[in-house]
This record gives sequence, structure tokens and C-alpha cells, in this order.
Amino acid sequence: MPMVLLNCDKDIPEREKHIYLKVDGEDTRDFLPISNAPTIPGTLSERGCAFCGAKLVIGGVLKDTIQMVHGPIGCAYDTWHTKRYPSDNGHFQMKYVWSTDMKESHIVFGGDKRLEKAIHEAFDEMPHIKRMIVYTTCPTALIGDDVKAVVKRVMEARPDTDIFTCECPGFAGVSQSKGHHVLNIGWVNEKVGTVEPEVTSPYTINFIGDYNIQGDTQLLQQYWDKLGIQVIAHFTGNANYDDLRAMHRAQLNVVNCARSAGYIANELKKRYGIPRLDIDSWGFNYMAEGIRKVCAFFGIEEKGEALIAEEYAKWKPQLDWYKERLKGTKMAIWTGGPRLWHWTKSVEDDLGVQVVAMSSKFGHQEDFEKVIARGQSGTYYVDDGNELEFFEIIDLVKPDVIFTGPRVGELVKKLHIPYVNGHAYHNGPYMGFEGFVNLARDMYNAVHNPLLKLAATDIRGETTTRFLEAAE
Amino acid sequence: MGCEVISKERVGVINPMYDCQPAGAQYAGIGVKDCIPLVHGGQGCTMFVRLLFAQHFKENFDIASTSLHEDSAVFGGHQRIIDGVLTLARRYPELRVIPLITTCSTEIIGDDIEGNIGKANAALKKEFPGRKIHVVPVHTPSFKASQVGGYAECMQAIIKTICDHKVAPTGKLNVFPGWVNPGDVVLLKHYFKEMGVDATIFMDTEDFDSPMLPDKSIHTHGRTTVEDIKHASGAVASLALAKYEGGSSADYLKSEFEVPSHIVSTPYGIANTDAMLRKVSEITGKPIPDSLVKERGIALDALQDLAHMFFADKKVALFGHPDLVIGLAEFCLEVEMKPVLMLLGDDNSRYKKDPRILALKDKCNWDMEVVCNADLWELEKRALDKDYGIDLIMGHSKGRYVAIDANIPMVRVGFPTFDRAGLYRHPTMGYRGAMLLGETIANTLFTHMEYTKDREWLLNTW
Repeated sequence: MPMVLLNCDKDIPEREKHIYLKVDGEDTRDFLPISNAPTIPGTLSERGCAFCGAKLVIGGVLKDTIQMVHGPIGCAYDTWHTKRYPSDNGHFQMKYVWSTDMKESHIVFGGDKRLEKAIHEAFDEMPHIKRMIVYTTCPTALIGDDVKAVVKRVMEARPDTDIFTCECPGFAGVSQSKGHHVLNIGWVNEKVGTVEPEVTSPYTINFIGDYNIQGDTQLLQQYWDKLGIQVIAHFTGNANYDDLRAMHRAQLNVVNCARSAGYIANELKKRYGIPRLDIDSWGFNYMAEGIRKVCAFFGIEEKGEALIAEEYAKWKPQLDWYKERLKGTKMAIWTGGPRLWHWTKSVEDDLGVQVVAMSSKFGHQEDFEKVIARGQSGTYYVDDGNELEFFEIIDLVKPDVIFTGPRVGELVKKLHIPYVNGHAYHNGPYMGFEGFVNLARDMYNAVHNPLLKLAATDIRGETTTRFLEAAE
Repeated sequence: MGCEVISKERVGVINPMYDCQPAGAQYAGIGVKDCIPLVHGGQGCTMFVRLLFAQHFKENFDIASTSLHEDSAVFGGHQRIIDGVLTLARRYPELRVIPLITTCSTEIIGDDIEGNIGKANAALKKEFPGRKIHVVPVHTPSFKASQVGGYAECMQAIIKTICDHKVAPTGKLNVFPGWVNPGDVVLLKHYFKEMGVDATIFMDTEDFDSPMLPDKSIHTHGRTTVEDIKHASGAVASLALAKYEGGSSADYLKSEFEVPSHIVSTPYGIANTDAMLRKVSEITGKPIPDSLVKERGIALDALQDLAHMFFADKKVALFGHPDLVIGLAEFCLEVEMKPVLMLLGDDNSRYKKDPRILALKDKCNWDMEVVCNADLWELEKRALDKDYGIDLIMGHSKGRYVAIDANIPMVRVGFPTFDRAGLYRHPTMGYRGAMLLGETIANTLFTHMEYTKDREWLLNTW
């Protein structure tokens, strides 16, 4: 079965190259959707911009850092209250955004002075905060403000502060993916190696590509603590700015999200010789495998086995309860990219769930190679899917539940299909053993929601069930 | 004692109150039936605004992007405009209106919007000879005004483009409610029905509260049609209920087609609603019916139980859209509360001269501050100041942490209110809106009394 041209795409036939239906006997040498390519205008794509990939996804997670957005107000407003990444210090990073609130005169005459003033003000207003990331946006990149020069001046005037500049306007690249890349490389170039960590364990790692969604980082931290492994830096869940400046001192980079943060792991390998180890943190099989690999690296296999046994004893019976009831459920995953390949095999192995369609907003070729290898036959693999395609694919595969964002969730609600938040989770965390039980529970509760049956009932029609009269 | 009208002194913003112009333009655009706004800019300018609307309404709205990438930023995005328009037209056969909304990037690049619309129109005519699609130029650079101005700009642009000639008198009333909830639109329609007035609401967002139906059909879209817009030029009059979000459209119809324009105080609270109904009666010659006198009485009856017992002298901080904040301040006075802080979130210089603010200034015999171009950091600093003594915050969900951290009861009102369920369904305008708002304030204060053990026993016998 080659690539698929959906009916809704007959006027944009180039979309055929982005949609693949896997058939037994084929492999990715034969067919691989095009990805990380420009979006067709007017298609109602789900993609965001490069700026949000840098600010909202990675930098904005830091719990002790001012996020100064140099541009008009919308870029700051829109990347605020759209993520669920708590921290252990009162959620500073979710409470605030900062903007230079650029106006027309700054577009005409330059925004450097305004930026400098806004940076000083922000530090003055919040004197306990000493760290900042400054982001450029579409307009400031277009007019060519010299942000780095401004930042240099401020850091000279305020020697107790440290500021990182991320030049990643929204139009850069084709999706948020470009923003991940720019922030990764910029950070390793300018900030890694500028702080020396206090090393307290013979086993040290960086945990890369996990953003503490609903407490993922904090849950996994319990495992590292039990194993006696020190995490020098979480990139970037629940992290401090200075933790990330000390990444060069870890012995191992453990990578979860290879798409958003594989870049920095590769650079740390090249520059500091730190090996990269990719793991999947969602699912029992995967998590156990990940722990085994990390422990094997340090020669502490017994500790790892003890932890896995302890966690299995605690959580596996609950997982199996859900597995019994979820077996055969048809699931669709419409998220960013990596969760497609993180989840497709783990829900199959751990829960007996069949993933029937997947769409990625910003995955690259290697993400599709992974997901097609891990995924099933009879499943659609879509790059940069759009709304009409979603409707058509729903008709083709009839999913019981869709893991996607809240807006698309509202859309499919009208089709009587429940959604579970595939980005920010319903009631997470979803990583680790306990987390995957949470995911199973949320999926079970979604699929068995009695309202969906009621929604399908037309009260004008014949009743199929006899209703008991109250008086009977 | 007295009222000071000032502006934020800092240049930067910490926690903005409003989104940017293109966001407001998108909100006006989705109010039209068979319409998909096309935002000419980076994809984030669309994706996040769609998310924002979804957070507030718990609904999906269709908005497209020209997906400006790096090459367009360098060489111009002309082709992406035309491709975007044609792709929408081809894949959405019902589509009749495409507001083409600019952003900061495409205004800076200087893409010729009108020229490209001309080219797109020619291409549409050739490909779809029997079909008219109105492509509306909406210039909303993010570095000017805010979502408030963007809403007004898109509304006016849609009318300017589609309502292109004077039609025969329709006997209808054009109503521009401003950026309000579906609950307000339903209330206004009810009032006009009771009065026997044939009114067209721009934009009719009633179906932004849409059902799950057995046949799985989707009805989440605006109800204002191309015909409604065309017929605006034949109306008996235009009534704008929000000076900053609809006044300019009413004025345009007056200058272009001599449709009389009336801009009234936004009908928040009893007296403002009275004034609106009297104005409608004056314009149309229709009397105010007994049914509305009764509704008014029910609201007064409810508020009377609360005002001097629970509300009197409570110091209130208000933030949100300008017409809303001013209207809420007037409502506060009706129920004996003291608005001590009003925050208006953009640099529109007209606020300081607004007659409603000047009137509040005259009335004010307590300390009151009006902060223009404000952000929510201005609120936070005052909320945490015990001497300032704010008893109640009224505003949208973006201020939620101020209330949480300062432990001040907060009533959600305005846009967005994503941290409370179903608020978009209920009116804030009109008698019923005033009553619901008063009762929400009371219940919020009561809950706070209970959780802080502050004379919670008062309610044992209330």
C-alpha cells in the first residue's frame, strides 16, 4: 500500500506524500512520509511557530528565570497559561510572562533601548530573580535589533545576573521544532561549562527532554534517588537555570525526548565526551528497560532490578486491571511527534491497545522511521495533519479515544469521541510505572464515559431500552 | 480622596491583560457564518489564539494561517496569501468570507494586502465563476493597539468590504454588542424579541455554545450572514453597546450610508440597561414591555438582599476590556461597592477622556485609581499591599494567581475565563446579567468567609 491521497486532499495532492498506511511486508525503505517540510497555506494545520518551540516548550520551564519576550504583546500573552509544568517552588514559571510590549515607534526606530529598560525593570521588580532568557520574535528579528549587545550591557551593569539570548523568531523553520534546535545549540554554545556543580554521587546523569508535565520529572526523580544517581541537570523539567550551565559534568546523558533535545545530547557528546543513552519513559516495559540500561552503564544492575521489582509489585496489578478492560481499544495519537513512537508500542504491550492513526505536527524523518518500525499495520501515519484529514481518518479507522490537545479534543467531542490530553495529560503524571497507570486510568475513564452513550441517543426515535417508570 | 487617572510607568509588561490586535480580529471573524479567517503571519499567531478561544468556550473554531516561513519573511508572502485563499475555497465549498488578517511580521515585510486580494479575487472568479467569496483586508499589526482594537478593526473591515452599497430600508436595527459572551447575545436577542424589535447582532455568537447532537453535526460557528452584513446599510439605526469594540463600525455606517449611529453606555448594571432599553424604545418607537419591567424588578429584588448587608464599602479591583471595566465600576456603585482600582490594558489615549471615567471621577469620594496601559503586575503589587485593602477582584482568568497568592476572593468576568466552568453561557449584560453577577459576587464572598472563618456564622441565619 503506497502513500494515501485522501478525498479531502484532492485539491492539494502534494499531501499524498505526507500520509502513509502501513501494510504487512512493507518497511520504511519503501515508504516514509515527508516531514519537517513547509506547511501548505490555508490548510488548518495544527502547527505552532519556532518561537513557541523555544520559549513555551523548553526555556519557559525553568523555575527561577525571567522569560523576557522582545516583541509585541501577543507572543508573551499566547505562551502563558497554556502548559502544565509545575515546579517545587510555587510555580513561578507558570505565573508570569514578560514582554517589551513593542509599539510602532520601536519598529521604526529600533527596540534596543526599550529592551534594555524592560530588562532592568524586570530585575528591579523581582529582585530575588537573577536569571533571564531574552527571546526575539518575528518583528524584532525583522528589524534587526542587536539583542546580544543589549544583554551584554545589562550583564556588565548587573554582575550578579546571567542572561541567555535566544534568537528564534516565529517564522524560522516550518514548525516549533526549529525553536527546540536553536535553543539547544545556543545554550550549549554559550552557557554549558560556566557553572561547576556540587557532585554528591559517583553516578551522575543529565536527564534530557522531559519538561515535568504534571510532575513527570518529580516522579522520575524518585527513581534516581533510590538508585543513588545524581541528576546534574534536568533539561528542563523543574530545573534551575544554573543547573543547565553545569551539564558538562554529568557522566551520562539520558535522553527521553530525542526530538526536542537530542541536539544538546549530541553536542555534549562531541564537546565533552558524554555518552548519549536514549530511553522511553512512558510504559512499564520501556521504563524498566530504561532503568536497566542506565544501571548497566554504572554497573549497579542489582539496584535497578530491586527498583523495578518494587515498582512492578506496587503498580503492575493496577495496570493489569486496566489492561483487562482496555484490550482491543482503538486509539489515535495526534500530538507533536515523539509521543507517537514513545506510546504506540507501550500501549500495545502494556495495555493491549491498538493505535490506529497517528499524526505528528513537527516530527522529522527519524521520528517517522521510529514510529513506523514500532507501529502496527493498518495504521495511518500522518505528517502535519489538518482538520479535514482528521475527519476523514476518523471515518476510516473509527478510534475509541484520541490523545491530542484540548482544542482538537473539543472538536472530536461533537463526534462522540472522547479525548485525553496528549500534550499536558488529563490527570498525570504519565511517565514511569505509576504514571502509566494514570494514563491507563484516564483512557479507561474516557472510553467508558456514560455521557457518550447518551449523546448517541436520539430521544425522538424508538427506544431500544425500556425505561422504568418511577412508580413501578 | 478622589480619583487619579494614571498610566503604568514601566515600559515593559509583566503579565499582560490583553492579547494582540490579530487575536481580537480573529474573534470578530469567527462570528460570521461560512467564514474562516486567514491569518497572514507565523503559525503561532493562529494556533495559540485558537487554543485561547478553545480554553474559554470549550469549543473548536476554524481559523487558518498562511504559515509564513523564513523564505516569505525574506522575499515576501504574496504567493502564500493567494495559495491560502484558494486552498480554503477549494476545500471548503460553503465558504463565503475570508478575513485576511495581517500580523506584525507581514506588516513589517510590507506585503501588499489589497493588491494580493485583487489577484486572489481574479483567481477565484476564474475558478469558481458562480460563487462569491469576500476576501476582507484586515490590517492588524500587533505593535499597535491590542485585542480590543483588533476586534473593532476586523468588524469594521468586514462591514466595509461586504456592505458595499445602500440597500432598501430593512426596518432592522444594527446592534454592535462588542466582545461579549454567547450568554449576552442570547439575552440581547430576548430583549429585542420582547420589545418587538427586529435586530441584527454583529456578531451573532449564540452558537459558540453548541450542542453534542445524535447526528454528530457541528454547529460551532458564528451566525451573522453575508446578507445580514449587506443589509446593515438599510437599517433604521445602529446601536453600539461598546464604544471601543463596535463604535467605529456604527460610525462608519453613519458616514457612508447615513444610518443613524447611537453609542450607549455598555448595559452592565441596572441603570445602564435602563438607558439602553430607553434608547431602543426611542429609536424604534416601541414601548418597553411589562415583561422587562418584571425582569428588572426580579434583579433589583435579588440585589437588594445583598447590597447594604454584604457589599457596602467593599473595595473592588477591576480589570479587563475597557467598556467592561467601566460598566462594572458603574454596577459596583449601584450595589454600594467601591471600585478602588480600575485597570485598562492598552495605551489607547481616549480612555483618559472617556466621559464615563470623567463622571466616575466626579462622583468619587474615596480613593480610586484608574491605571491605563496597565498590566497585571500593577494589580499584583496592590493586591499584596495590605494597606491598599482590596476586598474583591473582578476580572478574567489571567489574573487568577494574583487572587490565589493574595488570598483575595475573585469573580471571573470578561475574556478569557478558562478557570471556571460554563461562564460564557451566562449573560453579564442586562438585568439578568447584573443579578447573576451580584449573586456570583455574594457566593464568592460567602465561600471566602467560610474558608477564612471570617464571620461565617453570619450566614447561619441569612
